[in-house]
Amino acid sequence: MSDDGPSRVGDVGRHVPALSSTLRPRPVDELRAWGGQRLVRGMRVLDLGCGDGRFALGVAASASTVDGLDPDDEAIAAGKKAARKSGVRNVRFRVGAAQRLPYPDGAFDVVILSWTL
Amino acid sequence: MVDALREAHRVLAPRGILIDARPDSRVLAYAERRKIRGFQRFGIVRTNRFELAADRRSDRAIASVVRDRLFKSKRRGRFWHRVPFDSLAELRQYLAEHLRFVHRAKWVVDAATRRRHSNEPFVLRRAVRYEILEASHDL
Repeated sequence: MSDDGPSRVGDVGRHVPALSSTLRPRPVDELRAWGGQRLVRGMRVLDLGCGDGRFALGVAASASTVDGLDPDDEAIAAGKKAARKSGVRNVRFRVGAAQRLPYPDGAFDVVILSWTL
Repeated sequence: MVDALREAHRVLAPRGILIDARPDSRVLAYAERRKIRGFQRFGIVRTNRFELAADRRSDRAIASVVRDRLFKSKRRGRFWHRVPFDSLAELRQYLAEHLRFVHRAKWVVDAATRRRHSNEPFVLRRAVRYEILEASHDL
């Protein structure tokens, strides 16, 4: 089935330290390049490989809900802390692997792999 | 990677959207000096070969799930992103530590020019590619 050699999927989100997310485009700029806010407006969004939540928190104002998943527990802790600090209530962060998503079928309208795959 | 994409498909509602965005290693990155108006190219920065191979694996994973009709490609494109640095030394330090790029730029200006402007702001301009895919559940 897979032709991509040994699976690296368990490492999703680990290759680049979360700190480097500050050197990435702002979520609003990235979203604009992809087609604008309409892509996430009112949607249930999953940010896969969310790191420290840079993107998840960046689109929270437009989305209905945002779930962030990453195998790096320190990054997830940083995301939760940032969400608390900014008062964002519609974002949930979880530690987990991309090849075993802890969500039911059809739970999301949008899945984002931002600098993850 | 394909397993992760299959999982993404599973958790997506019918006609849900998958957005894959990542640095575009098919084009070069550039070290540029920030001028009052615009930018001056100082060097070319290549992606290291391990990252190139990883990017190709990602491409194949996407192609695989499209071929299997889990997703339909709706749109794709590229935009440029500038990472700012306070000086040329800071940019060099970033390249030396960063896993994605080769650790030295190939300079297109001479050493004297680099020295003359070394304390001015620089940027690393790199391409980011994206693809919007729609989940298909009518297998």
